[in-house]
Amino acid sequence: MYRNKRHFNKERRHFIKKIAIGSSAILFSFGLPIFSISSSAEDGKPDQLASILIDFSKCTGCRTCEAICSSFNNLENIDESLMPGIGNPYHANIKVYNYNPDIDVPSVCSLCSDAPCIQACPISEDPVTNRKALFRDNKTNAIVSDPTRCIGCGNCQEACKNESSGIIRLNRATGMPEGICNLCGGDPQCVKHCPYGALRFEKQTINYSFDRMSPDEIAKQLTKQNYLI
Amino acid sequence: MTIKQSGYYNALLHINLTTGKITKKGICAEDIKDYVGGRGLGMKLLWDHIKQPGINPLSEENPLIFLPGPFSGFPIPSVSRTCVVTKSPCTSPIQSNYPHASTVSYSNFGGFFGPEIKFAGYDGIFITGKSPTPVFIQINNDNVEIKDASNYWGMGTDKFDKIFIQDLSDRRYRTCYIGPAGENLVPYASIIHTASRAAGRGVGCVMGSKNLKAIAVKGSKLPDVADHNMLVKKMTGARNYFKGFSRGKILSNIFRKNGTAFLFEKKSKKGQMSVKNFQEGTFPQVDRINADAARNKLWVRNYSCYCCPLSCKKSGVIKQGKYKGLLVHDGPEYETGTMLGANLMISELEGIMKLIYDGDDYGLDIISAGNVIGFLMEAYEKGIIDKDDLGGIDLTWGNVEASIKMLEKICSKEGIGALASQGVKALSKKLESGSDFAMHVKGLEIAAHNVQANPEKGISYSTSNRGACHQNGETVKKQNSITLIDSLGICKFACTTPLGLSTKKLAGLLESITGIKRSADELLMVGERIFNLEKMFNYREGFGRQDDNLPERFFNDAFTIGTEKGAVLDRDEFDTVLLKYYQERGWDTKSSKPEKSKLAQLGLEFTYS
Repeated sequence: MYRNKRHFNKERRHFIKKIAIGSSAILFSFGLPIFSISSSAEDGKPDQLASILIDFSKCTGCRTCEAICSSFNNLENIDESLMPGIGNPYHANIKVYNYNPDIDVPSVCSLCSDAPCIQACPISEDPVTNRKALFRDNKTNAIVSDPTRCIGCGNCQEACKNESSGIIRLNRATGMPEGICNLCGGDPQCVKHCPYGALRFEKQTINYSFDRMSPDEIAKQLTKQNYLI
Repeated sequence: MTIKQSGYYNALLHINLTTGKITKKGICAEDIKDYVGGRGLGMKLLWDHIKQPGINPLSEENPLIFLPGPFSGFPIPSVSRTCVVTKSPCTSPIQSNYPHASTVSYSNFGGFFGPEIKFAGYDGIFITGKSPTPVFIQINNDNVEIKDASNYWGMGTDKFDKIFIQDLSDRRYRTCYIGPAGENLVPYASIIHTASRAAGRGVGCVMGSKNLKAIAVKGSKLPDVADHNMLVKKMTGARNYFKGFSRGKILSNIFRKNGTAFLFEKKSKKGQMSVKNFQEGTFPQVDRINADAARNKLWVRNYSCYCCPLSCKKSGVIKQGKYKGLLVHDGPEYETGTMLGANLMISELEGIMKLIYDGDDYGLDIISAGNVIGFLMEAYEKGIIDKDDLGGIDLTWGNVEASIKMLEKICSKEGIGALASQGVKALSKKLESGSDFAMHVKGLEIAAHNVQANPEKGISYSTSNRGACHQNGETVKKQNSITLIDSLGICKFACTTPLGLSTKKLAGLLESITGIKRSADELLMVGERIFNLEKMFNYREGFGRQDDNLPERFFNDAFTIGTEKGAVLDRDEFDTVLLKYYQERGWDTKSSKPEKSKLAQLGLEFTYS
């Protein structure tokens, strides 16, 4: 059945987040690499799903991920066959935000295990598929919008903004959600093609303190850590 | 009706700041083919717009043109450059019939601005006129507005960069802007992007003269290309070129590790660094300002331009000492670190960084500013000027505090700053002394690559079409190649021979975008055409053989220290090399004017009247 059917325990989540931030600060004060992402699966929170994690010590803000994402997910019909698009970053599901002092924050769907966007979707579950207009894909765990059922209410966008990183935007013409990472069918291309190896696709660990944070929040925290201000 | 050229919009955004009129105009398909974009297309547009020599660069008539290249916006490695083309407020010929005679100025900067112009649906932005009050231009695809910028006037670039994007309430806007130096019409003011990337060489002054504080642009488009599949394939190939065990990887590793700061040690050792106002080529304290020192004391992270695998920009913070906590947006790079470091005999890294920060914050061209301060330090040492002339500043070699004050005076044009802001040529003229060590060509200040032990660089400086330019190239072939690269929107660093992308690779990419089949040699001819058109522009203004000269210092003052001790240029040899250069270019050896046959060969007959 659905992998997203998990008990939403807000207190617990915030508690974990606090530990994460706290432990980062401790690590930082001892000069250890705070951005390291442990690849050991055992370290992962048991109910965590693998998602795209960013190693901010490696990201240089080049935006290659945007172009790659856009190219892979916006196929074009060329001579009657579907080909990868050119890579217009406007259509990317991962977006890099630049800040001053120099901080770059790639922002991408956190694949929240409790999926506040799906919870906020007012469309009732289909009796056959058990799916709302926004649902989690069985195979990849990515969150998918069903354009045939979506009414463009924007609740998912609000929920994402309030409870997670705020990556959902609404299509100007249809009002339907955009910008949700589909994990490229399970093999995220941005991770594969990042020239700096700054992206990883794996379960989150306690060291990753940026889960569900907006780019502004992440930038604020990184500015403090990087620039001592 | 313009014929649509694949890979372009055939659309130029015209903005007249006097009338407030905003129009989208077509570009002639022939021009796109012959001048491709960036520096080249900018030069052609400038030629077509300025029909007479001698117009005042700070007049409404002088256009300020922002140009991406045909590569811009496509995810090809390092296609981040935006070229700004205008008539220079910095240069002047030895003799001319026109009071405001000056060369063309072209200057390009990395970052994200050029690609965003492309995303917004334009092949370039063409700004004329002068707004009565300070304004900025906001471009969101087809929605273009001129808005009040009074609140921002006088603001330093670092603060402005932070506040402006907040006020636009959308971080997807890309912005470029001037600082107080541009507003105050300092001729060598820069246009700044991301608080550090700069288009120098005078273009910021022209922006200031139009009362234009900033441009913000964002968009959602990309033009159709001629061969979609081929382009995707070639782009992937170009990206892979910088991966694995490849020459591209070696190149990117050099830049990733140290940025251009890897040059400090190398250049000093070879006697090619600008030290003590170009008196020496070796800096004995180089280990205090080199990449290793900067990594320890300043750098925190690497920073890239659009789709660039090199990430040469180093950001950080001053970690200790007097200036602790000051942001390092970039640096020291080789140019900025040398011109405000070794050239002023400053070896205190934190002090150099403070100077670079201030220079960027004022929006000054740091090459020119460092050169001017070096000149003043030497004039002060020689007693040509005294402390009173300097408004009480004790401008001795190596004095960081005095240099900080001088930068401030230059930016505000206060006291000696009024004269110093006009550049070393004007300074030496006014002082009626010091022309022997006024280090400029055609009125534009020389950069951080010294010449006595590096004679080839002398050709680069003397023959450059915008005045002393270290990136001009030392040979005809190299110059044509660099001109082409500047016109494509790709960065020179990614095309460095022999490790970077070859002209053949660039030709393949361009062909898949435009559908016009051209060999590497044919493309180099595009570079040659552009270079010759620039030359004809300058020639029309009155620049001739006598202006393709070098400062006396290079011929008189031999190095006294370092491995290249005793090095000095030989005048006869320089003349011979220059003569050969003209012959190779197909230019008249007496006047330096391109021969009619050469112009005809390049399709530049229209310049010959």
